Amino acid sequence: MSWRAELLAVWAVVVRNALMASRNVFFFFELLFWPIVGVLSIGLMTRFLHLTPAQASFVLIGTIALSIVNVCQLEVAYAVLLDVWSKSLKHQFLAPIGIRHLTLGSWLVGMARGGVLFLLLAALGWWAFDFRVLAPGWLAVAVFLLGCFLNAWIVGVFVCALIALFGNRAEAFAWASVNLVLVLAGLYYPVSVLPEPVATVAAAIPLTYFLDAYRAHFGFAPEFRAPIATGLALSVVYAALAHWCFFAAIQRARRTGLLLKMSE
Amino acid sequence: MLAIDAHDVTKTFKSGWLRPTRTAALRGVSLTVPRGTIVGLLGPNGAGKTTLLSILATLLTPDSGSVRVLGHDVVRDAARLRRRLNMASGRPSFLWSLRVGEIVAFYGRLYGLSGSKLRRRVDELIELCELGANRRTPYSELSTGLKQRVALAKSLVNDPELLFLDEPTLGLDPDVSVRVRRHIADLRSQRGITIVLTTHYMREADELCDEIAFIKAGRILARGTPAELKRRIRLGDVIALRLDPPAVPWLGEAPGVLRCRAVDGWVECTVDGAEKRLPDLLRALSAEGIAVRNVRVREPELEDVFVELAR
Ligand SMILES: Nc1ncnc2c1ncn2[C@@H]1O[C@H](COP(=O)(O)OP(=O)(O)O)[C@@H](O)[C@H]1O
Ligand SMILES: [Mg+2]
Repeated sequence: MSWRAELLAVWAVVVRNALMASRNVFFFFELLFWPIVGVLSIGLMTRFLHLTPAQASFVLIGTIALSIVNVCQLEVAYAVLLDVWSKSLKHQFLAPIGIRHLTLGSWLVGMARGGVLFLLLAALGWWAFDFRVLAPGWLAVAVFLLGCFLNAWIVGVFVCALIALFGNRAEAFAWASVNLVLVLAGLYYPVSVLPEPVATVAAAIPLTYFLDAYRAHFGFAPEFRAPIATGLALSVVYAALAHWCFFAAIQRARRTGLLLKMSE
Repeated sequence: MLAIDAHDVTKTFKSGWLRPTRTAALRGVSLTVPRGTIVGLLGPNGAGKTTLLSILATLLTPDSGSVRVLGHDVVRDAARLRRRLNMASGRPSFLWSLRVGEIVAFYGRLYGLSGSKLRRRVDELIELCELGANRRTPYSELSTGLKQRVALAKSLVNDPELLFLDEPTLGLDPDVSVRVRRHIADLRSQRGITIVLTTHYMREADELCDEIAFIKAGRILARGTPAELKRRIRLGDVIALRLDPPAVPWLGEAPGVLRCRAVDGWVECTVDGAEKRLPDLLRALSAEGIAVRNVRVREPELEDVFVELAR
């Protein structure tokens, strides 16, 4: 495939996802309502519990990261979910494109939405709780966001793979397992408080490292050495694994007829 | 030149986890389709028509057999093949809130179109499929007929050399079906597209197809031009009678009568030759005191061939 065709296929998915997002009121709630409710309630809780500004920022970073990962991973999962819901999955697998175009296009839209959400939540945190998320500077912010987006991509692609493997009934299971994993990433607490077997799981989640690195800018001693490099390396490994799983799941769906079944 | 060359294709579906059930959808199907022809796959529900189309269109991997489409192996060379074919179904589905123009454009981009080329192609297809008035209508608000036209427009977006149509006139009003059929015929005559369609409407197959393959329970039972099939199955003529009283048990055993069936108040007898048998039949009926209210004699239709083969 030529570069032009590659970019075009990705762009097609970007346009499609953006159009769908702009047409659905449900998307509004995903993008704004729940994240804002989340930041407000966590922020108020930090007031009620009289947390120090450092502790409050620790928790708020976790909330914001969770919101961004959630919004972005959902968009990545839309790579197949939109078509599964409208039973049109077979058309895109009849076209001469690969799953990379689907996931990449959706990811780009997810990053745009995640970026907008981040700025909104940052503004809200500043206004309501005097919490300066952007204080560490643009490079640190960029690395933090990149970490969130990479995690979202991994999670979203795994969800796609599960759906291509088990059909739409896997949806609930996919989201549940994914959220379970994310909760372990130390969103609201340092990973060091976790008991041993769980701490190992947390150490295997890339988001853990990006949170660790970003929190260091707010005065918390890093729990890991070279958290950014570790986070990136882990992300690359998982991203490759997730992509391979999704690819294999689609190949299998072509064999079992699930691809057709999800289109009727 | 063959557009499709399939040999001994089999496909069995497994469904269920604990106690999987197996459905043999195709049990050794061979099919060749010359370029530039319209070939119809005709058969009852569950015969395996959609399964066969899906394998030919690379959406489904066959269990065994060899399938070459446009010179490509459907399994090994699927990616290259996909740019040259397309498919539309009579039960179409697309993203519900996208508008007609956006749907066609989305798939256009997937097939590598952009800029003014894309715009021109979308315009052209919207006009060809008579969707101009609905260009900005969300897909979910379209009628069945319009949805099928969107499917047709989408299936032409890459200017395919080979087009698969799965029950293209399913559930359409008769006048709309006539128009769709004309479109399909035009696609072949004006653009030279090879078309493989499935249907269970005999009229459609009879009217559109150069050749027909009857498929039942995963096997192709007969294959040929509509005229050949009618001849080959040797159906004889059909004498339709309106009788009073309507039921005459011995009619099926009368000399020269191959079989009888009741259809909408008529008794249809298939006989070896109408000129020879009709006078005898009428005489025998009147001798029994049965009134003959109406008589029609006709040649066998593809429908009769189908009923015969599907037995
Ligand atoms: N994706 C699928 N999964 C499981 N069974 C299937 C699938 N598609 C078709 N079948 C089964 O295979 C048989 C042939 O189906 P199909 O090719 O759709 O028939 P037709 O199109 O001629 O009506 C049917 O018994 C059907 O239930
Ligand atoms: Mg079918």
